[in-house]
Amino acid sequence: MKALRGLGIGWLVLVLIFLLGPTLVVLVDSINSATSFPSPFEQATLRWYRALGEHEEFLDAAINSVEIALASSAIATLCAFLGGFALSRRRVRFGHAISTAMLSPLFIPEIVIGLAILQVLGLVALPLSMLTLIVAHAVFVLPMALRLTLSGFSRFDFGLLDAARSLGANPARAMLAVTLPILRPSLIAGFTLSAVFSFVNLPLSMFLTTPRTATLPVVVFAYMESRIDPMIAALATLVVLIAAAATIGVDRFLRIRILD
Amino acid sequence: MARLRSGASVSAWLLAPASLLLIAGIAVPLCATIWLSLSPNVLVHFDGKGLGNFQYLFKSKYYYGVIIRSLRIAAEATVIALIVAYPVALTLRRMASRRASAVGLAMMLPVLSGPLVVVLGWMILLSDGGPLLAPLTPYIGRLRIVGSETGIIVGIVHFILPFTVISLASVLRLIPENLVEAARSLGATPLEIFRRVLLPLSLPGLLSAAIIGFSLAASSFIAPHYLGGPADVTLTALVAQFVLATFNGEMAAAVAVLLLVLMAAIIFLLSIAAARSVRT
Repeated sequence: MKALRGLGIGWLVLVLIFLLGPTLVVLVDSINSATSFPSPFEQATLRWYRALGEHEEFLDAAINSVEIALASSAIATLCAFLGGFALSRRRVRFGHAISTAMLSPLFIPEIVIGLAILQVLGLVALPLSMLTLIVAHAVFVLPMALRLTLSGFSRFDFGLLDAARSLGANPARAMLAVTLPILRPSLIAGFTLSAVFSFVNLPLSMFLTTPRTATLPVVVFAYMESRIDPMIAALATLVVLIAAAATIGVDRFLRIRILD
Repeated sequence: MARLRSGASVSAWLLAPASLLLIAGIAVPLCATIWLSLSPNVLVHFDGKGLGNFQYLFKSKYYYGVIIRSLRIAAEATVIALIVAYPVALTLRRMASRRASAVGLAMMLPVLSGPLVVVLGWMILLSDGGPLLAPLTPYIGRLRIVGSETGIIVGIVHFILPFTVISLASVLRLIPENLVEAARSLGATPLEIFRRVLLPLSLPGLLSAAIIGFSLAASSFIAPHYLGGPADVTLTALVAQFVLATFNGEMAAAVAVLLLVLMAAIIFLLSIAAARSVRT
């Protein structure tokens, strides 16, 4: 039995190495002084990070990406909170169908969502804008926000709302004073993970950006079409740090247990 | 009665923003794409609306090959991911909630870092003179992974693995330890416990992990783009080609609709199997 458990742990470690390996080599190569890429490690340097500063297009694109990530996640989290409340509080007619519909973007390729939005705008002759991108990203991250919200509501005692009502709170007040604070960790986790998912997504935005609204992944993709160099590794490292901060925050501060 | 109705209408109002988002962001746009997929274009000529574009895709040897390749790659990647993920999920089952969840989140780190970062990592690791393959060259010769179907599969397995582990582990963790203990006290070996207790009880979870894995694999765009060769075009890459290279919106729409229909058919079959496995 012991041997079996040891094997299990060993396999888990191998899988973790497989999963984290590619990200780790990017971190290492971002501080490698060798100019040809990729190449064996020579000396540690921060010059590639400094080189990033000379490329304004990355910064502009990052600002677009942050705006889109925050706006779309805010919309998705609000929709997920209200919808999740309705779906969890009582048996809604077609409740199962509705929650399936809300999770459906998970099963539609991002590139198809992007294409479909491009084509509907073309048919009604509307121009591409930041709003287009925000809607596309909000739809895409809705399942993520909804899943975390629903698991938050599954531990929520709706009797508390009746208590608040009987003490004289109106429904809106009960929602703000009781439901919102209790659900806060799930909502913040849903918002954070949604924002990161939106921030790094390429296929959704690929057809929907203009030179003015280009997102960071779109600009990086265009750059990587012509070449890859250590500067891209430096940029990638910064993105990994954002993702790592988000995961650690969700685990440590919000204490969200994704497996339960 | 009045109270009940008002409760239902409150629910409707609460669901309105999400519904509106789904209608504006998915339902209406998909209708536009379906409409365009039925329309003639510079490549395929026919009158009015029809299925001509789809016939064309199936009849052309090249496009038929793309369809088969996409399904094959997605299926292979899903099976590999499930085989790799199952023992991991079994190990996570026995861990405390806190630690298991932390491991799950660590596994999500590459997903959250984004596919471009991960693909860049694979291009470094698997390049011809890279740290993984260079030491092996004297023994197995020059092995080409980036630019081949194997490269695509490595990339996709890597991407879907965290999702399959998490969905399997959350099902396996629901199986009460008492059952396993009971089987053990009745003299079952670890293999028998696995075959007669854990596997049957986790079958629905296995199938739902397969659904998630397959749909993510079939949706994947960046791994095939960078890790595959020019001959390894998949359906998602084909959509991008029709939009960005040949500006043929109708054909792009047809490929997109075809991809959705194929995915829906396979997800449907898997969910029927999942429903059956719950009943028996």
